[in-house]
Amino acid sequence: MSRVSIRSARAAAAALAAGALVLTGCSSGGGGDDDSKDSKAKKQGQDVSYTFADAAASKGPAPEVKGARKGGTVKILQRDSFAHLDPGQIYVSDEGALSTLMHRRLTNYKKVGDNKYEVVGDLATDSGQKSNDGKTWTYKLKSGVKFEDGSEITSKDIRHTIERKFAPFMTEGPTFIEEWLTGKGPADARKELPDGPYEGKHLPKSMIETPDDQTIIFHFKQPQAEVPYALAMAGYGVVSEKKDTKQKYDKKPLSSGPYKVASFKSGKSMKLVRNPEWDQNTDPQRNQYPDAFDIQFGVSFEDSTKRLMSDAGENQYATSFTNQVDASSMQKVRTDADVKKRSVSGYQSYVSYLNINNDRIKNKKVRQAIAYAMPSQSIVSAFGGSGGAELAGNYISPTLVGKENTDPFGKLKKPQGDVEKAKELLEESGKKGMKLTFAYQNAPEWQNFSVAAADNLKKAGFNVQRKDIIADTYYDQIGKVKNNYDIYHNSWGADWPSASTVVPNLFEGRQIQDGSANYSHHNNPEMDKEMTRIRAITDPDKAAEEWQKLADKILKEDVPALPMHYYKAIQLHGSKVGGVYFDETLHDIQPTSLFVKK
Amino acid sequence: MTTVTKEAHVPAPRGEGDAGAFLSVRDLYVHFDTEDGTVKAVDGLSFDLERGQTLGIVGESGSGKSVTNLSILGLHNPRTTEVSGEILLDGQELTGAREKTLESLRGNKMAMIFQDPLTALSPYYTVGRQIGEPYRKHRGASKRETRERTIEMLDKVGIPNAKQRVDDYPHQFSGGMRQRAMIAMALICDPDLLIADEPTTALDVTVQAQILDLLKDLQQEFGSAIVFITHDLGVIANVADDILVMYGGRAVERGSVREVLRAPQHPYTWGLLSSMPRLGGDVNEALSPIHGTPPSLLSPPPGCAFHPRCGFVDEVAGGLSCSADRPVLPAGRGAACHLTAEQQSTFFIEQIKPRLG
Amino acid sequence: MLRFLIRRSLGAVVILLIISAVTFFLFYAVPRDPAMLACGKNCTPDSLAVIRKNMGIDEPIPVQYWHFMVGIVAGRTFAQGDCPAPCFGYSFANQDPVWETILDRFPTTVSLTLGGAAVFLFIGLGAGMIAAWKKGTIIDKAFSSFSLVLSSMQIYFIGPLVLALVVYNMELLDQPKYVPLTQDPGGWFMGLLIPWCVVQIIFTANYTRLSRSSLIEQLQEDHVRTARAKGMSSRYVFFRYAWRGSLIPIVTIFGVDLGSLFGGAMITEWTFSLPGLGTLAVKSVQNTDLPMVMGVMLFAATFIILFNIIVDAAYAFIDPRVRLS
Repeated sequence: MSRVSIRSARAAAAALAAGALVLTGCSSGGGGDDDSKDSKAKKQGQDVSYTFADAAASKGPAPEVKGARKGGTVKILQRDSFAHLDPGQIYVSDEGALSTLMHRRLTNYKKVGDNKYEVVGDLATDSGQKSNDGKTWTYKLKSGVKFEDGSEITSKDIRHTIERKFAPFMTEGPTFIEEWLTGKGPADARKELPDGPYEGKHLPKSMIETPDDQTIIFHFKQPQAEVPYALAMAGYGVVSEKKDTKQKYDKKPLSSGPYKVASFKSGKSMKLVRNPEWDQNTDPQRNQYPDAFDIQFGVSFEDSTKRLMSDAGENQYATSFTNQVDASSMQKVRTDADVKKRSVSGYQSYVSYLNINNDRIKNKKVRQAIAYAMPSQSIVSAFGGSGGAELAGNYISPTLVGKENTDPFGKLKKPQGDVEKAKELLEESGKKGMKLTFAYQNAPEWQNFSVAAADNLKKAGFNVQRKDIIADTYYDQIGKVKNNYDIYHNSWGADWPSASTVVPNLFEGRQIQDGSANYSHHNNPEMDKEMTRIRAITDPDKAAEEWQKLADKILKEDVPALPMHYYKAIQLHGSKVGGVYFDETLHDIQPTSLFVKK
Repeated sequence: MTTVTKEAHVPAPRGEGDAGAFLSVRDLYVHFDTEDGTVKAVDGLSFDLERGQTLGIVGESGSGKSVTNLSILGLHNPRTTEVSGEILLDGQELTGAREKTLESLRGNKMAMIFQDPLTALSPYYTVGRQIGEPYRKHRGASKRETRERTIEMLDKVGIPNAKQRVDDYPHQFSGGMRQRAMIAMALICDPDLLIADEPTTALDVTVQAQILDLLKDLQQEFGSAIVFITHDLGVIANVADDILVMYGGRAVERGSVREVLRAPQHPYTWGLLSSMPRLGGDVNEALSPIHGTPPSLLSPPPGCAFHPRCGFVDEVAGGLSCSADRPVLPAGRGAACHLTAEQQSTFFIEQIKPRLG
Repeated sequence: MLRFLIRRSLGAVVILLIISAVTFFLFYAVPRDPAMLACGKNCTPDSLAVIRKNMGIDEPIPVQYWHFMVGIVAGRTFAQGDCPAPCFGYSFANQDPVWETILDRFPTTVSLTLGGAAVFLFIGLGAGMIAAWKKGTIIDKAFSSFSLVLSSMQIYFIGPLVLALVVYNMELLDQPKYVPLTQDPGGWFMGLLIPWCVVQIIFTANYTRLSRSSLIEQLQEDHVRTARAKGMSSRYVFFRYAWRGSLIPIVTIFGVDLGSLFGGAMITEWTFSLPGLGTLAVKSVQNTDLPMVMGVMLFAATFIILFNIIVDAAYAFIDPRVRLS
């Protein structure tokens, strides 16, 4: 996501279409300071650790935040209004942040130390018990977990939460659980329960069982290792079976978390107040310090940055869920001590890629030449330098478990591109002077990049044709399998801290279709076979290691796309707001620990 | 020009009834500063006017006749206009008088009727309101008194149905009615001096005659002195007692109506008479307009301002040059011309009069 | 008057029809698919079809347009529920009913627009009057040069500057915000003070110059001279005769400026993050939110047309010639 307000909204919308925005997932970096000295350490993939926690770790209440007190109102400045409040329709990060305050799920992320996270039971007593080689996952609900109307949350509500996602009007949330239960792709999966649970039908017991009100059992068609990650997504937040109002639920959902909606004026404001039915003793992760959250929408990144930097008047009590420091102010935020101490930062899960259309450019040497020629530094600069972006060596984001700092094309050593090498390779390929159509989104950062990139490519001996595409339709255009472009960029982020939602989406041959994320049209049966193999590994850490290896192998041997940069973000808060930290699973400020200082 | 400046400053002799003249203008100079230089709109003008008398001022546009009268009322722009000389109204000095003093005289003791009754009335207020305003101001009358007086005045100037028409807006009046309204406005405070600036020019002939009659009647009733400005000698013949002919900011001929019309002395006056159609004249006979254009007031011709257009320049004898020496207008009846009285009379009778038919 | 109103209303309907058609078809002139944007990360052809049907964009574009226009007059039924006339449908982006959203945002824009207009008319006409009254003096020249400087300013430049100075550095005023007038008049006034002062800058200079030149012109009118010849005081003449006439061109230009005033309000809303129709319009365009774009466009156009009719009626108030002919 770019940080240039007007364009970025469009870019975000477009990126959403292509699926670049994700909600869960996690990150390893972060911390307030990201100057070059310690950023190296933070890049170490080994540092990220996620543990699937047991019952003891899943017990409430959440640890007290140091210095926290109850009371007060936190003002939240948000650029975009929340399009969805129904958890089943939530995918993007803005609403994801809200959902941490409102919607509980079976599992949840909990920070237990620097770069150390646990996946704990949220409504469930633990992160899940697997059996039958990972095909069956069993969850027991805690007692005393309630909706805001005071009704107890039961396993029937959990089943309902899953089943309603089969209904036709549910279009925007994740579909992992549904696909795993049915063993089918997202479109075919819906046919198992075409009306959802609304016509009195349920999924067969061979998929979901609720033997009693506390127990829910998932039967997947294939072994699944990452169920606790998937269930921690905001899209699987619990919905009351009795109070479900179908489409209308999107405007008036029932809260299960520490805050509920007091008023919501779409595009203008939202007020969240305490939910008295929420019991902190059942919740291992959330606190409930402020009396209320006062959310204002329509505040651009520039505006929120200026307000929070000024720390004047009511802005002292303000922060944001997802608004970031805009690129033009990044330098000041990083150098002005007073502002810097009110900033937090970290990695986002997105990575930008330069895709090479494998259907059009079949010569590997040409692809290598393009990869060597790319000046990755120029896109890092366009995103505000080291505060907003970091050079990428390989496909895997630093937010993912098992991340290694491999760099097959020497991008970290030669961030301006290796034109000599590119020239050499192009000559070897015998395609010197070949025409190369370069499509890019007409947002300023990509325009700047395209100039630098075209310059390098020309020097290397390509006949470059730059093709500017308006932001809203960019992803539609490059998403067509039969497009007329040779190289084009995109961004993609993982759904959870494993590359299993990155490598197959980007590079699996069977994914190729209009609008899919396999923009390079990479299709190598050998690699596909590897993906199938790794998916079956039930040890998440082991799988993570294998994904990294496979990603590097694809990059080195097939060169379908070049990774360019990892996205980062800096956020600010007013001086009267406490408990602020950058949560690498949300890749934003964590709302549940905020409090108002005296 | 150089040779005449001195002469121009010779004070013009006063007419008979020296002390008693109701309006006395002496040596009036009105100069405007413009970006191109100084415009000498009025350049040393003197005349007198008695109560109950009408003075007709005749001249082409740009001859200074309107400017003269605006400066009597003090309606020139003080920032850009320089006025010198004296204007005595009933013994009161008006040049250099305070704005407040002038305000109290305007519309009260002296009033003006303007040329174009459409633009001279504000479109935004009712006729009645505009007529009544000076009455309220100068007489301190109440709203009701003012309204009654206004209706009375409208009646007097011959607006039918005055009670209703008083609430009409100017655009609802015909041209003649508007001019009547203007007259009512000017007369509402019984002014001693009435300046009528081409009051009938914009009107058709029948209405013209009515308005002129009206003015005459009203003068008899109120006893006002009237300055009647026009370029039309035919109109003057009807209303005026005396005539002042102006050219290039100066008076070139003066006399009673009879004198000036029967025996005009100045070639310019001859020209004016010749360019006027006569009732009963031969329609096939062409009028003879004065050839040439009015003089530039920025740099008027030296000597006699009329000499570039005058057909008798060569007749001047006695070492005088029309292009160098400026002729002086004598007191009383006379013309500012270098031709001798005999020449004037001969040329008029022999060359001009036959053409007038 | 009635005939005038009927004629103008018919004209307005024609204009609105043209605007609606142009907006609608322009929207689709760029190849884009709102359903694609509303479809999640794991979008499938089936869910796309469902979204298209829900949005009512599964039909040919002219048919969609027809349904849309009929909906405005007669109401429609959507998956979200019944939508009584005037129905502009539901937002593609967040399913909000368009009409209610517009009504909710409208007071902000109206407050900003009319308040800003009040400020620039007051300052502009006042300064123009003083300059005309003191024509040629130092004051006149100072006003002229100052208005020249002002007219070269831009909202997006001056807005953040004022904000930084008044709110962030000196902390004289709070962050601009919209508080409903009915709820807290004081808060409404204080919250909009800065936006008003900012939105006026692009207009005040023009109105100062216009008012000055128009007054100077009026002062040379015959009827003004007549009034002076009647002995009315200069002050009286200036205000009663010259000023009234000088309003005519100002009213004319004000009618023309309404559109740009709305435009200025949009930029101002954006600058100060105020939740008005301007920010709504920008967001809707960004979000490829056709019903909202159409709704805002038509609403704003209606409002501008309506206001122009009021402005024309104001002529009649000022100038009796218009009233009676």
